[in-house]
This record gives sequence, structure tokens and C-alpha cells, in this order.
Amino acid sequence: MGWLKMSKHIWKIDLVVIGISVLILMGLVGYARPLVIAPFDEYESLDGEILFEFERADVLLIDDNADFTTPDEYRVVGGERVELEPGVYYWKVSGVLGSEVRKLTINSRVELELIETEEGMAVINAGNVRLNVDVYDGDELVERMKLGVGDISEEGDGFIGGYDNE
Amino acid sequence: MGLLEVMIMSRRFLILLVGLFMIGSVLALGISPARTTIDFESNLKKNVGFDILNSGGSDIKVVFSAQGDLAEYISLPVKESIILGNEKSKSFSYELNLPPRLEPGLHTGEVFAMQLPSAGSSAGSQILATLAVVTQVHLYVPYPGKYANAKMYIYGANVGEIVKFVIPVISAGEFDLSSVRASVDIYTKAGEKIDSFNIESISVLSGERKELVYNWKSDFPIGDYVAKASLVYDEGTINLEESFSIGVEELELQEINVGDFNLGQIAKLEMLVENKWSETIGGVYIETNIFDSNGNVVSNFESAVKDIAALSKESFVSYWDTAGVREGDYDAEVSISYGDKESKKSLKFEVSENELVVVGLGYVISAEGREDGTDTIIIVLVIVIVLMILINLLWFLLLRKKLSK
Repeated sequence: MGWLKMSKHIWKIDLVVIGISVLILMGLVGYARPLVIAPFDEYESLDGEILFEFERADVLLIDDNADFTTPDEYRVVGGERVELEPGVYYWKVSGVLGSEVRKLTINSRVELELIETEEGMAVINAGNVRLNVDVYDGDELVERMKLGVGDISEEGDGFIGGYDNE
Repeated sequence: MGLLEVMIMSRRFLILLVGLFMIGSVLALGISPARTTIDFESNLKKNVGFDILNSGGSDIKVVFSAQGDLAEYISLPVKESIILGNEKSKSFSYELNLPPRLEPGLHTGEVFAMQLPSAGSSAGSQILATLAVVTQVHLYVPYPGKYANAKMYIYGANVGEIVKFVIPVISAGEFDLSSVRASVDIYTKAGEKIDSFNIESISVLSGERKELVYNWKSDFPIGDYVAKASLVYDEGTINLEESFSIGVEELELQEINVGDFNLGQIAKLEMLVENKWSETIGGVYIETNIFDSNGNVVSNFESAVKDIAALSKESFVSYWDTAGVREGDYDAEVSISYGDKESKKSLKFEVSENELVVVGLGYVISAEGREDGTDTIIIVLVIVIVLMILINLLWFLLLRKKLSK
């Protein structure tokens, strides 16, 4: 009878020990999961330089598809600035455990900035995509050129810039 | 001084004055997005938004117009607008009213935003040239039935490494593609077939883009190869062909470690370079140029010359005298020179009083240490606790069995 009473006691203690262990385990798993701070999900920007901030992870993965078939992988400490071309991206981080997948969009921007050169007026591609630029002198089209980001056009007095299709 | 000389002087002064005003207010015009892509739907009415960017800081008057295949389906509710100098951007939209039917394939349209001379601008900031920017609309009309578009990209590697084959597939037909797979044959430049593999089938919904990916182990000699792929989808086959190389004579800057950094003193930069080529590369040195915001070189320093053994890494030390350097961000160009070749990498140096952060290598490396141990501790703790729970459960069940007897 005494042994039976004691064994019931042991069961109770044992159940408590298991319960506590499970709770500690859940807490540890929760703690080990990466904390993703920035950028937030569905983030949109005109600026291609993105600061990724997170904790408890050391690998940042960025891909143009949510399946991460060909991700760019960055081994980082807790934050990383990455220069991205315009487009839609999916990203996640990985440490002991993996994080959620977030989406971000870099919006394309066509921008022309007029500058004065020694021979006249020209434009700089101040946007974030390669441009087709038509240069006019009066009504006459004098040059049709492709301008990389930061490149300067030929001189003219009229400029039309659009996204380069190729 | 004659009258003519006075007139010339006055004209020069006027030109100078105009120039000064031009410097004060930069003329710039932007539009975003550069392109909007839409899938065709019969009789679709859609409002497409775009922003006009005015980073010049002066009032501008903009006129809108539509051109291209889709011009007749584009209506602009606002034909012209004034954007004030203090407005960085202003939102507009155009309406796309599509017909019941269009030919399959790509249709394009353009919305032009043209800057006109602003009545309110001062004489000095009068616009001397006209700027126009374009936002495009790309409309994809699905092909009847099932239709796929595909390309093949191959990322070469060194011997024994993984060559990645990526075939993006766009389902451009009316119906979903239930099965898309590919078989790939690898040939030498001489046309001898050396290997083949199949890429597992995937499904692609109509209008969607997915990728077939295969990691191929390149256990073949250094050289150029050709991959011929047959992409087979429900109702058709697409043949693709691409060349690729195994083994590349390449040196790659992997990381830059900065020792104890103190602005104003000489900083020690350890640059780790990997030789990805299968032979030793001799006479390697690294030159670093640091530029100010105007693109002028403010510092230049070189490492010693070293050889790097095949498929290995070597550390190069450079010293940067930061006397007179201010806190801030600097563009840097790191050039690895070997033989008559040069491999350049553009980076950003973020300089602060006690820290130099190198941005752009896929690494953020600074004088601060890294907490490597945390992950291991967590893994060990989780394993120990799981084991304890299992042992406890086992003991608990065995004891129960024993007691019930």
C-alpha cells in the first residue's frame, strides 16, 4: 500500500518535470527563431539600397521567387545593406532555425537630370534603370542612345528618356 | 573702355548670372514606375498609378500624352499639372480601357510626361532645354491553349563544383501548364556528348513564371561546354542551347577585415582573396582607391605582391593612413591585379570615429567581434532537453509497467 502511494507521488512529480522540460524546450525554440526586424513585409522603395536588420541569424537569402530556387546568399552578422536592382524580391534569414519569408519591391524609376557641359546641355541618367534617351536639337532627332545609371548623354536641347527594353 | 567692350562684359556677366542660377536649381524630372506589366482581360478597365518626381527643387509644369499600340485604350484624366518645388513627388494615374479582344502576345503603350517652361520661374532658372520621361505599360495577351516561353541560364563553376542550370518558364497561354520538364545533354566544344540529365516536372499556372533548376556536378576537365536542353510541356517542346565553362581563371575578393580602427591613425586592412582557378596565380597585388563625394581620389594604397596557390585563399595586408579623413561614407574601388588582368570591386567604406564598416561584399565586417558561440549553446541545450524528456518518459512508462504487475 505504501509503495503504491509513493509511486502515485512519483508519477505526479514526473509529470511536472516533463511539463517544465517541454515549456523550457518551447521557450528555447522560440528564442532560437530569428527575429526579423526590417524591412517589413510588402516593403516598397524607390531606393535600391536596402538595409536588412535581424537577430539570431547569420545567413540572409534573397531571391526573385518565393521558392528560393536560386537565392543570393549573404553571410552576415546582424544587418546588411544590399544594393538591389528594381524588381520584386523575397527574402528570409536563417540561423539555428529559419525565419518567415518577406516580400519587398524596388520600384523602377526613370529620371533625367539636366546638366550644363562645355558644349551645351546634356542629361544624366539619375534613375535606377538603363534608359533609351532620344536627344533633340530643336525638332531634329540627333542621337538615340542607351544610358546606364549615372551616364551622361550627348548635347542637345530636348531629351526624352524611357526604360530600355533590352 | 569702348561701348563694345562694355557690352561684351555685360553679356559675360549675364551668362555668369544665368550659370549661377542654374547651379542653384538643378533641373530634373522623373517618373515611377518605369514600366507596369498587366495580363490581358477582356473589357478590362484599370486605373494605373504613377508618380512624377521633382527632385530639382523648382516649380515645374508637366504635360501628359499617350503613345504606342495601346495609346487608343489609354485615357488621361489630367492632361497637365504644376508640381511645386517643395513637392518631391506627385501621384497621377491613367485609365486603361481594354477592348474585348487583342492579338496574342505583347502590346505596349507609353505615357509621356513632358516638362514645359514654368511661368513662375525666375529669369535665371528659365528652362533652356526640354525634358520628357516615359512610363511604359506592357500588356500580355495570352496565346490560345497552352503556351510556354523559356530561356536557359548556366552558372559555370570550377572542376568538381556545382554548375547551376536554371530554366525560367513563363506560362503565356490561356491555360495552366500541368507538366513542364526538361532533358539536358552536355557536349564538349568538339561535339562529343559527355553527360545527360533530366529535370523534374513542375506545373506552371497561366501567366505565372517558375524555374526549373538542376545542380550538375562538374566532374569534367577545365574547358568550354555546350548544353542542349529540350523543354517539354503539355502541348509542345522548346529547344534551348547555351555555352558554359568549367573552371575560370578568377580571383575573388571575399572579405576585408579591419583591425582596431581609430580615425586619424593608420588602419590595417586584411583582404582575403580566393583563387578559383585550378593553377597557381602569381604576382597578385591589391590596389585600393577611396573617393570623395565628387569622385576625386582621396586615398590610394597597395598591398605587397604575392602568389596564390590553386583553389586556395590568401590574405593581403594594406595600410590606410586616415590622417585628415573625416567621418562619413566613401566610395572605394578595390582592384586585384595579376598578370595583365584586373578584377575590380566597388565598395562603400562607412567611416566613423572607432569603426570602419565595409559594405558591398556580402559581408559586413568591422572591428566588432561576432558572437559565434550562441548558436552552438542553443543547439546543445535543445538536444540535452529533448534527451532528458525522452529518458524521463521512458523511465515513467517502465515504472508504470512494473508497478501495474
